[in-house]
Parts: sequence; structure tokens; C-alpha cells
Amino acid sequence: MPDPTADIVQRLCDEARRRGATFADSRAVDSVSSTILVQDTRADKLFSATSFGLCVRVLVDHCWGFASADSVSWPSALECLDEALGLARSSARFVEERVEITTPRPFVDAVRSVGRLMPDDLPAAEKVRRVLAFETAGRQAAGKGIVNSICSYSDAYQVETLANTLGTQIRSETCRAVLGAQMVVAGADGQVQRAAEYEAIVGGPELLLDTPAEELSIKASNKALALLKARKCPAGNFTVVFHPSITGLLVHEALGHNAEADAVWSGQSLLEGRLGEQLAATGVTIIDDPTIPGAYGSYKYDSEGTPAVRRVIIDHGRLVGFLHSLETAGKFAVAPNGAARADGYESKPIVRMSNTFMERGTVPFADMIADIDRGIYLEDGHWGYVFVQKGQFICYAGQAHLIERGRITEPLRDVSISSMTLDTLTNIDAVGDDFEMDMPGMCGKEGQRAPTDAGGPHVRVRDIVVGGHEA
Amino acid sequence: MSDQHNQYENLADRALRAALDLGAQWADVAVGHGHDIGVTLEKTAVKEADSSRGQSASVRVFIDGAMGYATCGGLDEDRVLAAARRAAGMAREGTPDPDFHDLPDPDPAPEIDGLFDPAIDAMTVDDVVAIAAANLSLARELEKSVNLSGQIGLSSGASLLVTSTGLRLWRQRTMLEGEIEALIAPGDDKGFYYDFDSGRMKDDCHAESLARSAIEGARRMLGARRIPSGRMSVILGPLATYDFLSDLASSANAESLQRGRSYLCGKIGTKVASPLLSVTDDALVPRGLYSGAFDGEGARRRRVAIFERGLFAAQLHNSYTAAKAHQPNTGHGSRSGGISPTNLQVALGERTAEEIIRDTGDGLYLAISQFSPNPTTGDLSASVDFGFRIQGGELAYPVESTMISGNMLDLAAAVDAVSSDFREEPGSRMPTLRLRDIQISGSE
Repeated sequence: MPDPTADIVQRLCDEARRRGATFADSRAVDSVSSTILVQDTRADKLFSATSFGLCVRVLVDHCWGFASADSVSWPSALECLDEALGLARSSARFVEERVEITTPRPFVDAVRSVGRLMPDDLPAAEKVRRVLAFETAGRQAAGKGIVNSICSYSDAYQVETLANTLGTQIRSETCRAVLGAQMVVAGADGQVQRAAEYEAIVGGPELLLDTPAEELSIKASNKALALLKARKCPAGNFTVVFHPSITGLLVHEALGHNAEADAVWSGQSLLEGRLGEQLAATGVTIIDDPTIPGAYGSYKYDSEGTPAVRRVIIDHGRLVGFLHSLETAGKFAVAPNGAARADGYESKPIVRMSNTFMERGTVPFADMIADIDRGIYLEDGHWGYVFVQKGQFICYAGQAHLIERGRITEPLRDVSISSMTLDTLTNIDAVGDDFEMDMPGMCGKEGQRAPTDAGGPHVRVRDIVVGGHEA
Repeated sequence: MSDQHNQYENLADRALRAALDLGAQWADVAVGHGHDIGVTLEKTAVKEADSSRGQSASVRVFIDGAMGYATCGGLDEDRVLAAARRAAGMAREGTPDPDFHDLPDPDPAPEIDGLFDPAIDAMTVDDVVAIAAANLSLARELEKSVNLSGQIGLSSGASLLVTSTGLRLWRQRTMLEGEIEALIAPGDDKGFYYDFDSGRMKDDCHAESLARSAIEGARRMLGARRIPSGRMSVILGPLATYDFLSDLASSANAESLQRGRSYLCGKIGTKVASPLLSVTDDALVPRGLYSGAFDGEGARRRRVAIFERGLFAAQLHNSYTAAKAHQPNTGHGSRSGGISPTNLQVALGERTAEEIIRDTGDGLYLAISQFSPNPTTGDLSASVDFGFRIQGGELAYPVESTMISGNMLDLAAAVDAVSSDFREEPGSRMPTLRLRDIQISGSE
């Protein structure tokens, strides 16, 4: 049965070419999402959102024009095209760098990235009941010290239909789900601490059925209770051991954003002009891979219709590649690798990460800490940010431990570290023989959000500034 | 009354009626539209221009205190009525909440002046490009080696809010804004800085000369050095002050206080900061970036003196938290249930920032900060991204691989100087603050 949406985006590309565009692509995005928020034993806020719109992007005289509309009909599509063509033509007066895109062979495909269940397979009442059950379990684990509990569940189903003037036609169905718990507890001395735990998948409400409370709300409560017994972290320069979640923050924030080819081309990234150089310790290999089944940052085609492929950024310490869109691939004269992602129909595709990780090494955890006289073990990675221009990043750890004379000793409270990206990558002197990727989240860039995941093994890094509270 | 206003009113009324027919005890509907223009700069050139237009609607339904909230893109009647049905369906699945009381009643007041500028609404892509081009000309004149990037943009929109309590609120807003980043990289050194400006009225936004302050800042950031760890005086420049006080004001959120997850819990009416610190949230400032006569729920906004000479004097409410606490609603609510501060006004001191720095001798100056404290404990552990070592009463050199830590309340108590001069953004005036004896982690 013909798909009227696919017909509109294809006809729009044909019409764009007829009106003088050397390249055009069009995407229609139909999305439905819902969120359940449970707080202090009540499901008190429930959200639902729908949108169905279309965009068109044209290249005229080597200048881009982009416009979007919040409905999908032929008249609104034509209006959208008029606006995009007008912007591209008027841009020719002031845009200095002419765009050349790479023109790969076309792909025609229909793909599904969904899980065992679709959002409607579990009634809303049952979802609410299960989120309340997670909260109850977390509150029971926290005991009398519970102060505030929040559990939330969201699922989002999206159909992206795209076409371009190269002949590509892709229909991608995607469903993602996120489950979270945040627990705030008080100790006998009146001290209050909080901790959070999240799970997220490409999939649907099976996340509510398959996640044990021990891995979510009970774990969050136990972390918060442990923080009540933790002391403040010392300040200064230390040898640190990163838990895989902190390794994930490092590879995403410190390196990954610098490896986005748009930042490299614009001269903002510290990796500009460094391709082929040894920039990290030889044990370090860093990959961005959107093809991992079920991982939160996975997808099959990007928002330009390029197949997603595994991308090696750092190979045994050597910088070997970047993440590319059609445009940056054209500028760097390389094959596109499917890293152009757009946040809905209102946004243009820009270069983004997917699931970014460091490959496992050979050093057992016990050996990694054995010769540390006094260091810090950073755990529970939460967030970070980077100034690619300066090569400086920060990572926030929800908890930590002191390492003394080769042993993990006192628990420490939440703390951040900050360092220069290249210094840190070269100061990695042990890469663990373990691996965990469990940092699902939404990465922000230029006002757009993209689902990503990150991880790796434990790693040991010399000479890191820990923003502790005690001298 | 414009045709568009009438069309929105008819649509919102139909959605409101649908929600009430489906069992809503309280409901509200917002319908609106907006358009944006953005021009991107890259490598000291205009990269591209974008324009977008959109319409949307949202419906809130309350049944026994549980809230269902549904949004849709576009204003087709079918979509908006479907949103009303979804909101009602969601609210029915919620847990009854006896703490919910009602939605705001009509409380007429004139809108604050200067929040919608027809001159911004009428701007074209070429007008926005002209602002970008002015920065490029300035950059080429000031620093040939600079890599300038950034964004100049505008937004304009209008919305109508109708509620089951009889409230009808038509709002129009414009915003012109720009952010320019400058990177100078001689040899292996790198100097990076940025500046921004924004205004609801065109005259309040001076985005055409942002390149000057960004380039001057980038030059100052060259030659960064590591410093040793230690406790020292820290001076927050106006933008760092804004970050610091915004975090403090956000913690006066009544929902976080009632739920026990704010580091200001249990401290209302007590001294939590230096007696030099007085901060008022004022949404009623004409032309203010966060001004408005009404909040997102349609409640009248009130001026709130949050901190008075170091005393935590008042919290920020929405309709839910105010009813729960049996206190007046201060009008800081959003329709999704959140509470946010608006414009912040700070009581000024008597000495200029320059005099305070000169008097400091040795310490650290933070031009821009991103403290992001733990909202429950107030503990912070933050990177000093745009900081300078103060030596001999002057900014001596920029620092790298340096962090600041402490607790927000300890930092607030450590304020021992507030400057008389300030940076003004529409609605807010931010002075320079000095904090005594703060832990700095360095790597020298």
C-alpha cells in the first residue's frame, strides 16, 4: 500500500531539483511520547506529546536553505520548499564558503529499531502501577530516612520518512524508553543526600517489566544511604581510577565532541590537523558505534539516509578518524559514516555521537590500584561538559572512594574532576580488562538533543585535578 | 481583537470544553505560534541562515489533583481535541492528590511594558545577517588571526491561555539575541572567550559589537598557567555572580523546599548568607528578559525579596505549592509544574569592582562560571573555565586545570564585598562579589 508521507517527501525532492536545487532532502517525522512521574507515593504528573511535521533542505548555488512545517500535506510542503529555496538563494549573497557534499550511492530501505513491546502494548494504568512499585521498593530500601522519592518512565515512538535527490528513500521506526529513580535520604544527624539511577534502551515498555528494582530505585536508595557515611573528597592533583561510567564521560565529553568533523572543519576542535598523530597512550582505542543492538544511542540510518557504521576514532593511541555528515565527508574527501542526526523535523541534521566507548585493555582492577599509594577511585558518572576550543573538560562523579596503599578504603562524596583532553589521554597508564557501557542520556549540541550512550573499562590516569573540599 | 486572536480563542474554548466534558475538574489550554530566524557564523564568516515557523497547543487536565498534560504540534482542530482527550486520559490514571487546591482565578493587571517589539517581529533574514556582518567586520579590523563563530537570532511569538477558572490571557513576546565566540591560537597557545547580549526590545540588544569583547577576552586568556591548591579569596565577576545567585535563587523553589530536596530546607527566616547579600526576584521590570505580569499558569507575578541582608526571607511559589503551604502564590509557576526564578536584582555595595580587586591582593577571579551545585546538599565542585590569578591587586594571568569547591551556603556566607558597578542585562543587574577563604584545587 503506498505511503502518502513517503510520496510527499519524494515529490518534494523532485520538485526541489526541478526548481534548481543541486541537492535536496526532505524528512517527515511523526512522533508520540508519554511520561509518567511518580513522586512521594503519588503519580501526580503524566505527560503526553505528539507532533507530525516535515522539513526540506536544499542546496542551491552551494548554499543551504532549510525550512520546516508542522503539518504534512502537499500545500504545506510546497510552502516549505519556497521558503528553503528563498533562504538558499538569498544566502548566496553573504555565505563565503561554498558547500560541497559527498554523493554516496542511494539507499532504499525500511527499518525498525523497536523492542519486544510497543508503547501501547502496556496500558497506561499498568505503566503507572509499575512505576509506583519501583518507587515503593526504593522507599522501603531507604527506610525511615526517606525524604523525597521520584521515579519516572518515558517512552517515545517515532517514524522518520526521508528521501533525497540521490534516490535515497528510508523509513525508520524507532522506539526508545527511559526509566529513572532519584532518592533523597536523611541521616540521624540531619544530613541529607540524594542519588539517582537510570536505565534506557532502544525498545519499549519491556524496560518496566525487565528491570529489577535492585538495579534502579533500590540501588539509588543504597547509593544515597552510602553517601551519608561518606566524607568530603580531598582536593588537589591525584592519580585517579575511573569507573567505566567516568571513562564513558571522558570519551564522550573530552574526546568525542572534538572528533565531530564539523568542529574539526571549523577550527574549533583541538584535533584539527592532527589526523594520524599519536595523541593518546598506546593502550587507548576509542570507538563510536551506532550499530550495537538495543543500546540507547543506536540507529540504523542517520537523518541523511546514510547507513550507520562503527567508527574508530582513536586506534591504539593514534587519531584515525572523525564522525561525518554528507557535508563534512565532502569537505574532508572521505566516505560519509552516518553520524548526521536531527532532533525532530524542526532541526537540520548535524554531526553527533552515538554509543561512544573505550575498548577493554588487559589490566585487572586489583593490579590497577595495587601500586597507588594515595589516589581517588571515581564512580557513578553523572554529567560533564567540554570546551572543545580550549581542550578542557569536566566530569562529575556521584560518589568516590579513597585509594590508600593499593586498597580501596574510605567512601567519599560527589566530586568533579577537570583536565585538558590531550594531557588526560596521554596520562592513561592502565586500561582495565573489564567493560561496561551504561551511561544512557541525551547529549545537547546547538540546541538539539540526541540519545547517546558511553562507557568502557576501568582506566587509571596520572595527574588529574580533583575538585575536592578538603586540603 | 485580531482574527488570529479570535481563531485561537475559539479553538482553545473547544478544547477546554472537551476536557471538562471528559471529567476534568480543572483545566487550561494554551494555543500559540512562533517564528525564529537564526544566522550562524563559522571561521569568521557567515555559514548559513535558517528560518522556522510553528504552531502548537497544550492542554492541562486535573482530576482529583492528578495532572494530565498533553501537547501537539500544529493547530488542526482534530489534533488539539485529541490532545484534550489524551490529557484527560492521563489525568484519570494519576493518583489523587489532596494537596492540589485549584488553578489561578482571573486577577487582571496590565502587561509589563517592553516585552514585544514590532521592530524585532518585522526583522528579516537580511537584518539578522547585517548584525552578524557587523561582528565580522569588527573582528577583521581588531584581530586578523581570530576564528570567530557564534549565532545571531530572533524569536517572535504569541499565545493565548484560557482556563476553567475563566482566565483569558493573550501574550506576545519578542527576543533578539547573539552569542559570539572568539578563538585565537598563536603557536600551541589558545585563547578562547565568548560574550552575549539579548533583549526583548531591539534597542536593548547590542549584538553587533559582541566581537570586540569576545576578542579582548580571548587575548586575555592566552598564556594560561597551572596554580597550586590552597584557600584564597575568590572574586566573581558579574557573569559568575549571575550563575552563583541564580543557583541560590533556584533553591528557594517552594516545591523543592516542601519535598525536602533543597539545601535551603528548614532555613527560611534564618541567616544563610553574608549580611551584604540582598537578592530580589523581580518579574515586573519593564523590558526584562524574564518579565511578565503573569506566570505560565496565569497567576499574577509578585516581587519576592528572597534574601534580605543574608536572611532567607521568602520562597518562590506556583499555585500548587502556595495552596499546600497556605501562602500567597508568588507567580513563579510554569504549566508543566515547575517553579523558576525570573529577573534578579542585587543590592549594590560602595566600592567599584576595580577597587575590590586592588584591595584583594592575591586570589582568583572568575569571569564566567558554571557551578552546577548538588541541589540537595549545596556542595559544589566546579571547573574554573574562565579564571585569572589575582596577584598584587591585579589580574595577573589566566589559569588552567583549576577547580573551585565548597558549599553554596558557605560561599554565600563568605561574601565580604559587593561592588557598586554592575553588568546590566534587561531586568537584572549583576555586581562583582568577593568571597573570602575558598578552597581552590590546582595542579602546579
